Amino acid sequence: MAEVSGVSDERAVWLGRFVLPHELQLRAWLSRRSLGGLEIDDVIQETYTRLFQAESVAHVHDAKSYAFQVAGSVVIDHLRRRKVVSISSMPDLDYLEVVSEEPSPERQVIDRDELTRLAQMIARLPGKIRDVFTLRRVHGLSQREVAARLGLAESTVEKHMARGFLILSEQYGHGGKTLSHPSNPKPVQRPGTTGKQER
Amino acid sequence: MSAKTAHQIDLEAAEWAARMDRGPLAPEQEAGFQAWLDGDARCLGAYGRMRAIALTSERARALGPDFDPASFEPPSRLALDRRRTLQLGGAIAASALIGVTGTWQMLRHRGRFSTGKGETKVVALKDGSVVTLNTASEIQVNYSDSLRSVELVQGEALFDVAKNKSRPFVVSAGDTDVRAVGTSFTVRKLEAAPVQVLVREGVVEVFKPAINAAPVRIAANNMALAPEGESAVIAARPIPAVQVNRQMAWQKGQIAFEGESLAEAAAEFARYSDTRIIIEDQALAREEIAGLFKATDPVGFAQTIAISLNAKARIGEGEVRLAR
Repeated sequence: MAEVSGVSDERAVWLGRFVLPHELQLRAWLSRRSLGGLEIDDVIQETYTRLFQAESVAHVHDAKSYAFQVAGSVVIDHLRRRKVVSISSMPDLDYLEVVSEEPSPERQVIDRDELTRLAQMIARLPGKIRDVFTLRRVHGLSQREVAARLGLAESTVEKHMARGFLILSEQYGHGGKTLSHPSNPKPVQRPGTTGKQER
Repeated sequence: MSAKTAHQIDLEAAEWAARMDRGPLAPEQEAGFQAWLDGDARCLGAYGRMRAIALTSERARALGPDFDPASFEPPSRLALDRRRTLQLGGAIAASALIGVTGTWQMLRHRGRFSTGKGETKVVALKDGSVVTLNTASEIQVNYSDSLRSVELVQGEALFDVAKNKSRPFVVSAGDTDVRAVGTSFTVRKLEAAPVQVLVREGVVEVFKPAINAAPVRIAANNMALAPEGESAVIAARPIPAVQVNRQMAWQKGQIAFEGESLAEAAAEFARYSDTRIIIEDQALAREEIAGLFKATDPVGFAQTIAISLNAKARIGEGEVRLAR
């Protein structure tokens, strides 16, 4: 892709690998704090903006804590920008002292669990979107090849992919398991745990 | 600042991500994309997030051409209800009415958990106990109303047991049982080695259910070895707290050595990784080493050690060779 300002695929890959898996916890954490009128979705978007704009992430050993810190600073900056800040809306101090964790030794487990999670997410996509997504992502066909295979217009395939990304993003953000309560973030697990039942 | 909602921006970001997924942008589209990005500070983040999802989902290639989405669908309500009813029927027959919730929890009290080489995994059990599995390990959880039973099939696990006097927690490893009320301990069961029990907090009782002998009580900061067999004697000895913590370094993905030989260290690394450390020189194999190392990185370990022991590390396929 041509370099449009500030958009690097390398960074996107990094975000997908190290930040996206923690988004659920990040949202849960934000939901317990005063955001001075900001919506969680706004904070998340601005957090990703800053993570994209950061000069380098090579120094980041613990992406999760880093993302929490950035999200905290988004909220603080927002509060500072407001002319009048009431005492009750001042953020908790712990915005600035996010627990620093060891780099997760469970990384590999997460990888394997994430593949399962990804498979489940694809499985949950509705009808045609799932077909398109499976051919494009699992079988690796191009959008044009998918269109030819399914007898669809290329623009339709693109629309299905967009819809698929959006649904996936909702699952990352709200946990696909609680679709009946999408606005209710799940409680935070023990940090770094991936204890999952294999049955 | 524009009045766009976060949701609207997400929709647009998904469209851009799908457009990028189709192929490179034409120059005039690039200008449009740039204008969109410049319109709101949140756009870059929303797009970056969608792009991250788009690129992350490329890992689905690993699912292989035989991937059948249907097999990953969440169980339908109907199937769930049927399973629940079956379980409920059993529970009613077995005991007094527990109710649907209790039955459901009981269901989740059972299961098999395992880790591959180089993995650790934390399993939170319904009673509040937490089991941390070390590399290449497997447990089978079987909870009942009167007993919390966990079988350590192989490997090593740390058990942080929630207190409940009326419902003992028993870990079975081969022919050895370890009983705890509320405590924290590890059990290790490796091939050709006695079962090892290390207690960090509280007291546990180690015994062999097949033999009519008094259980051996092991207090905090003690280690017990229980060799297999009926005539085996369970021996316990105190070890310093520092060493207990070192023995549990694997929880953080680390291995600690203090005076072990390089040969022993290589064997320890073999538990965590398929990349073998081969020591070509006998004198080198006897060198004693110390330090804290990343468990899943035998190559890094070998390279570090090579420098400190003035040896050479040659990396080959699936192995790293150490020689002077």
